[in-house]
Amino acid sequence: MPKPKVAFYWCASCGGCEEAIVDLNEDILKVVELVDIVFWPCAMDFKYSDVRKMKDNEITVAFINGAIRNDEQEKMVRLLREKAQLVIAFGSCSQLGGIPGLANFWDRETIFESSYGKNCPSVDNPKRIFPQTKSKVPEGELTLPAFHNTVRSLDQVIDVDYYIPGCAPPPYLTMKAIGVILSGELPEKGTVLAPEKTLCDECSRNDSKPEKISIKEIKRISEVIVDSKKCFLAEGVICMGPVTRSGCTEEGDGKCISANMPCRGCFGPPPEVKDVGGKMVSALASIVGLEGEENMSDEDAEKLINQIVDPAGYFYRFSLPTSLLRRKRMSNLVKGEK
Amino acid sequence: MNTKAIIFCCNWSVYPGLLLSEDTTVEPDPEYKIIVNMCSGRLQPDLILEALKDSAWGVMIAACPPEECEHDGNYKAKRRVLLLKRVLEQFGIEPQRLKLEWIDKGESVKFKKAISDFIDELKELGPIKKLEIN
Repeated sequence: MPKPKVAFYWCASCGGCEEAIVDLNEDILKVVELVDIVFWPCAMDFKYSDVRKMKDNEITVAFINGAIRNDEQEKMVRLLREKAQLVIAFGSCSQLGGIPGLANFWDRETIFESSYGKNCPSVDNPKRIFPQTKSKVPEGELTLPAFHNTVRSLDQVIDVDYYIPGCAPPPYLTMKAIGVILSGELPEKGTVLAPEKTLCDECSRNDSKPEKISIKEIKRISEVIVDSKKCFLAEGVICMGPVTRSGCTEEGDGKCISANMPCRGCFGPPPEVKDVGGKMVSALASIVGLEGEENMSDEDAEKLINQIVDPAGYFYRFSLPTSLLRRKRMSNLVKGEK
Repeated sequence: MNTKAIIFCCNWSVYPGLLLSEDTTVEPDPEYKIIVNMCSGRLQPDLILEALKDSAWGVMIAACPPEECEHDGNYKAKRRVLLLKRVLEQFGIEPQRLKLEWIDKGESVKFKKAISDFIDELKELGPIKKLEIN
């Protein structure tokens, strides 16, 4: 019997998800024994034409990481969808939009202006030469993929079968997912292949948590050193643990938490949460200024809430494109344009 | 659809009085819809976001005035609204589209006036820009 065929592809991502595959270490040899890797441009030499030549459904499973922010990525994932029986959104960017998804607070024009124009102090570009999808050179015409105004998650572009969360996904979850797929006993379509509890539920710092948390002052992690046994929220440091899925380590405790950093939310919401930001507004505003709330003036409540710097950026750090509101409303977005 | 405002109000304070004060022979105003909840402190911000995403021009929360809520939910609602307004602003949505009003039991007249003033403010702002993403 021929081995199942596996493809890996990257879109708008940092390369960390590719590293996460390499981080399987010796286990990757077990994977290679069981499957044929038929496409992995980051690690091996493949061309678009190699994929185009494949028959529909020829690939057993395609792991796609990264968000979708340009035409090349969109075309490629549509092609992979035709050729693959199963598509897995691999990592936060693919599942939720991820860090590149924060671009949805801007649009193409403002991003280009920050990268190539007057809003980039380190760029000297008096002729204002900006990327073009087509440019004529003596040798002929050069093309670049069109850059979209709005970053999308993978499932906002193609049908996705399963999700593996994380920035980047931990190797144990990847191995588990490969095991499940090879076993043929597939879970329900749309399943996030990770635990369902929140990180707070699993956190080893729970014991230190007072019965009622009340934050008197918001502190940024760069400003304080938090006792490595104490709950971040109880210390006034914003931690996304209450609204984030657990599973970033096999043992349950958070990876960032173990390094004495608050959770940033890369695993995305647990199943019952519709909008991470909305839930975090609820969770955080409930405990900020809780003690003595009945005597707090409107002005003092506002001052305390305003200590939270960049709330939307913080709460939707990994999930802006898949949030309920999806992006900033801007006047120059043209109807029908990506 | 003519509905411009979604009004959340508490089942245990202002809503029963409002019902009694309404003339059932008159068609309800299509410009707003009231959603009854169990306490302003129970209102999840996702519901507000959902209303604004779908078609509402604005959302008003009628909460019991300070010291009047049996569960102290109104203080939480106040802080959530303050924070959510800042989040909305970052999404390019005018924070005035979200309003918290203190309305006590039996203040149906004040409540109706607050709603109609809010709808006037929303009409000045117009609808929220619709997203067109393929």
